[in-house]
Amino acid sequence: MARRIFKRARNGALVATLYEQEVELLAMTARDMVAIVEEPPDGEVRDRLYPRAYLDPTEEKAQGEYDALVHDDLVQARRSALEVVVAGLDGVEANRRGMVAIPLSAEEEMQWLTAVNDARLVIGTALGVTEEGHTDYEPNDPRFEYGVLYSWLTQLHFELVTLMLDEIGESGTDDPLLESPGGPTAPGEMPGNGPDAAPGEDSGRDDD
Amino acid sequence: MTPPDIQEITIPDTVEELLGEDDVRPDVPWVVLVWNDPVNTFAYVIFVFQKLFGYSRAKASKLTNQVHFEGKAVVANGSREKCEADVSRLHAYGLWATMQKDD
Repeated sequence: MARRIFKRARNGALVATLYEQEVELLAMTARDMVAIVEEPPDGEVRDRLYPRAYLDPTEEKAQGEYDALVHDDLVQARRSALEVVVAGLDGVEANRRGMVAIPLSAEEEMQWLTAVNDARLVIGTALGVTEEGHTDYEPNDPRFEYGVLYSWLTQLHFELVTLMLDEIGESGTDDPLLESPGGPTAPGEMPGNGPDAAPGEDSGRDDD
Repeated sequence: MTPPDIQEITIPDTVEELLGEDDVRPDVPWVVLVWNDPVNTFAYVIFVFQKLFGYSRAKASKLTNQVHFEGKAVVANGSREKCEADVSRLHAYGLWATMQKDD
C-alpha cells in the first residue's frame, strides 16, 4: 500500500488526498448512506446500526425508554457526519495530476471517521463479511462492486484510525471499573484524553 | 432585608426530591458489555475505548483482545443511567454494546 490517502500537515491538520474519481465515489457512498442510516432495512443492518441496549426481555420498558431517548440523536449524529463529508467534497477541484487535497479540521476528521465507519458497518454487514474480512469476490459475483468499495473504505478507515491512535497516545487509566472521582463524566469530556490541543488555524495547505 | 416568605418554602416529601436530580450514587450496579463483531477492527475498538473511557493503550488493547477472543468484555459499570449513556456513546461509534445487571 504505497500510497497514503491521509497525512497530517505540519500545522496538525489532516489532509485527505484523493483522485477525482475517489471524490465522486466517496460523495456518492455518503449520500447513499444518509438514506440508510435514516431508514435502514429491517434485519441485520438495522440491528447493527441501532442495537438493543438491553438483551434481557424483561427490560422491554427500559429498552423503549432508551430508544425514545437515544434513537433520534443517533440518527442525527450519523446523518450530520455523512453530510459533513458530502459538503467537504462538494466543488473541490483537481490539480493537473487529477488529485484533490482536502484539509480537514479536527472536527471534520472525527466526522469523516464516523461516516467511513458507518459505511463499512452497513456494507460489511450487508455483504456478510467474516472475521477474515475477505471481500475479493469474483467479477461475476453480484457482491463484486460492493466488495471493492468495502476494501477501499477499509483502507480509508485504517489510515484514519492509525493517525488518531497516534494522536491519542498510550497513556490513560488502567482501572476501567472505577468511576472518575467527580462521578460520571459527560460525553466527550474525559479528562486527559482526546485532541485537547485542536490544530486550529487551518488556514494552511502548506503544499499543493 | 426581609425574611423569606414561609409560603415559598416547600418541604421535599421523597428522598429523591430531597437529594435532587444530581444524586449520582449507583442504584444497583450495572455493567456495559461490548460484543465481538466481524466488521469493527482491533485498532478501531482500541481507539474507541481510549477515547470514550480514557483508558490507557494497554488497558484498551486488553479489553479489545477479550472482546475478540472471548466474544465479549465488560468495559464499564455504574448506575443504570451512567451505563445507558455509555451504551449510547458506544452505539454512536458503531460498537455492539449492551448492558445488564451485574449479578
